[in-house]
Amino acid sequence: MNMTGIIFSEMYGEDLGVFTHDRNLAAIPFGGRYRLVDFVLSNMVNSGINNVGVLAKQHYHSLMDHLANNQEWDLNRKNGGLLLLPPFASEAVNHNNRGKLDELRNALNYLENANTPYVLLADAYVVYNMDYRPMLQAHIDSGADVTIAATRVEDNPGAFPSVFQAGRSGRITSYALNCTARTGDYAGMGALIISRQLLTSAIREYTARGIYHLERDFIQHQFNRGQLSLNLYEFKGVCLRIRDVNEYFQNSMAIINEEVGGPLFRGDRPIYTRVTDEVPTYYGPACSVSACVIADGCSIEGEADHCVFSRGVRVGKGAKLKNCIIMEGSVVGENVELENVIVDKWANITAGAELKGLTTNPVIIRKGATV
Amino acid sequence: MIERKKECIAMLLAGGQGSRLYVLTEDTAKPAVPFGGKYRIIDFSLSNCVNSGIDTVGILTQYQPLELNDYIGNGQPWDLNRNFGGAHVLPPYTRAKHSDWYKGTASAIYQNITFVDRYNPKYVVLLSGDHIYKMDYHKMLEFHKEKGSECTIAVIDVSDAEATRMGIMSTDDNMAITDFEEKPKHPKSNHASMGVYVFTWEVLRQYLIADEEDPNSENDFGKNIIPAMLKDGRAMYAYPFQGYWKDVGTLDSLWQGNMDLLDPSDPLNIHDPNWKIYARNYASPSTRIDPAAKVSNSLISEGCIIRGKVEHSVIYTGCIVEEGAAVTGAVIMPNTIVRKGADVNYAIIGEQCVIEENAVIGEKPPAGGDPFSHNGIAVVGHKKTIAAGTVVKAKEII
Repeated sequence: MNMTGIIFSEMYGEDLGVFTHDRNLAAIPFGGRYRLVDFVLSNMVNSGINNVGVLAKQHYHSLMDHLANNQEWDLNRKNGGLLLLPPFASEAVNHNNRGKLDELRNALNYLENANTPYVLLADAYVVYNMDYRPMLQAHIDSGADVTIAATRVEDNPGAFPSVFQAGRSGRITSYALNCTARTGDYAGMGALIISRQLLTSAIREYTARGIYHLERDFIQHQFNRGQLSLNLYEFKGVCLRIRDVNEYFQNSMAIINEEVGGPLFRGDRPIYTRVTDEVPTYYGPACSVSACVIADGCSIEGEADHCVFSRGVRVGKGAKLKNCIIMEGSVVGENVELENVIVDKWANITAGAELKGLTTNPVIIRKGATV
Repeated sequence: MIERKKECIAMLLAGGQGSRLYVLTEDTAKPAVPFGGKYRIIDFSLSNCVNSGIDTVGILTQYQPLELNDYIGNGQPWDLNRNFGGAHVLPPYTRAKHSDWYKGTASAIYQNITFVDRYNPKYVVLLSGDHIYKMDYHKMLEFHKEKGSECTIAVIDVSDAEATRMGIMSTDDNMAITDFEEKPKHPKSNHASMGVYVFTWEVLRQYLIADEEDPNSENDFGKNIIPAMLKDGRAMYAYPFQGYWKDVGTLDSLWQGNMDLLDPSDPLNIHDPNWKIYARNYASPSTRIDPAAKVSNSLISEGCIIRGKVEHSVIYTGCIVEEGAAVTGAVIMPNTIVRKGADVNYAIIGEQCVIEENAVIGEKPPAGGDPFSHNGIAVVGHKKTIAAGTVVKAKEII
């Protein structure tokens, strides 16, 4: 494969509040057994990319722990494989995310030693199942400097980090950042292909001048000056963007549906994740489970409707859960009633507790908390 | 130069056909038969080894080894990918003279004396890959050392009726073995051999060589090696084991073993985080339970889509139960599809089967009775398609 993958594991302006207090965005649990990073990482592996660098800046212990055995993504390679790229110690003093170019500077050595002509840059906050090979082919065929993956905005216009208009050939004619898209516009998916040569020279040139914003200061700026040709690669599958708690909640609920969950978890392009050797989930004699996504190692004795359970969740007798996301190892006691609640890992909801959030504003229980 | 050595290694006999599992072992060895939702039978012995601190395991294969070889791979799922030691699959091989299949369990170990000698171990644990149990072999090894034993056999106490079907040890008060009988009509004791042995390798080695030279020997541990050692008055002890242990070598016991996992008292203690059972994991998504589904008292592994009714059942990885289908008291092995309106009762369905619409498999027990009593298990072998509307009766094997 003539492409190296780079994954941005941080936030860049997105806000997932309490979930990112002690983990970075890429390590947020999603869809039962997964973490957000699993999706782009598996996409890369399934596209034949076997050089992947994961950029991380802050509280990346959780991510390191998750990726430690890169064997599960088949990335324990002699040549290439997976490399976590934290900042050099001397760079770590400035703890703000100044921009992607700043982080890419930490990967400069890695990129210069990668022997592939192309680089794929991908954000971890977007969940989709995509083969990058046709995108690379389209990039090569178009002769553009940069090819950006995007979905067409249909009837649900909203604000997106990047919004494009493109001609019939796919050539991008307008590029806006952080603005509202209209029907027929395209919204970026946080994935782009660029030649390694062009990327490394941009990193060097821009960071030397104290300019760190990849999209605004380099791509958009050069595009507006007519110095950079951009092509759009339209992705027609399921694409879930997770930029705040509300989107996290809505999209977690969405994967319960066949139309969303089916194409995301397809047999020919599996999503890989860390193996934890849990026992299959036990459904008790009196349980009632409907419209749920459930990982291994759970024990469910109560009622659950429209819920997502990570590994090792325990739901006691008489508990009633509706529209809830319960993360790894959390315990929901007997006769607890929860509606529109997100429970982070290893929390304990003691017997009889009642919590109710709104669909637009779910209640969040912090990691390890006792309620 | 001082050579590296291991104190103790394990040899796991995984070459048996398991003919009493009929269609389930037609194309695969018994230890590779799926069990308990996501495991295979061999996972229990392998995980016991690792959890007991044994990091070198020779796995002796002979009958239909392809699936087992694939499954073991480099041993990584059990943490047995080691620089020195680890999991080694040992099939029979040809040599300059006297090439042979593994004629019996003793012959299998005899032919791999070179393998064992490479690690120069003081002790060898001999296991069979066809039982479901959790056991600390390290404690048994300590017992072996304390007693000054040369051969220690793990025993579990069974009823008189069961004793007539098993290898029975008689012991003195000190647990020294005084007598050994295979399937006795009138058992003298209730200590049944579990097929778990600790040998002092130096001693076993001599007996293996002598046994191979004896043209009249069947080259079997139970029939030849153990009686020969007893006759010579070797130091032999029985190690009493308490806990769950199940031979899943018959269709009924395999079904029962699966159902035991639904017992709320969890006799196997399968959830113990300090004694995990490891298995090779495949990348399957979390299980999806649709709104139309009804699930109760069941174990369901990952990668399943459940739209029908499932009760008192164990559903393995990657199965689909469509709407209107009902599955009761069934063991459904990986990647099987139960189509709309199909009715599966008290059955074992093999891997990658398709149960077409409205097919009826097995029989329901009389209403109101014990949900686990039945008129016999219906069995469908691996990769079979049961045509729409077909009826498969209880006790039928397809």
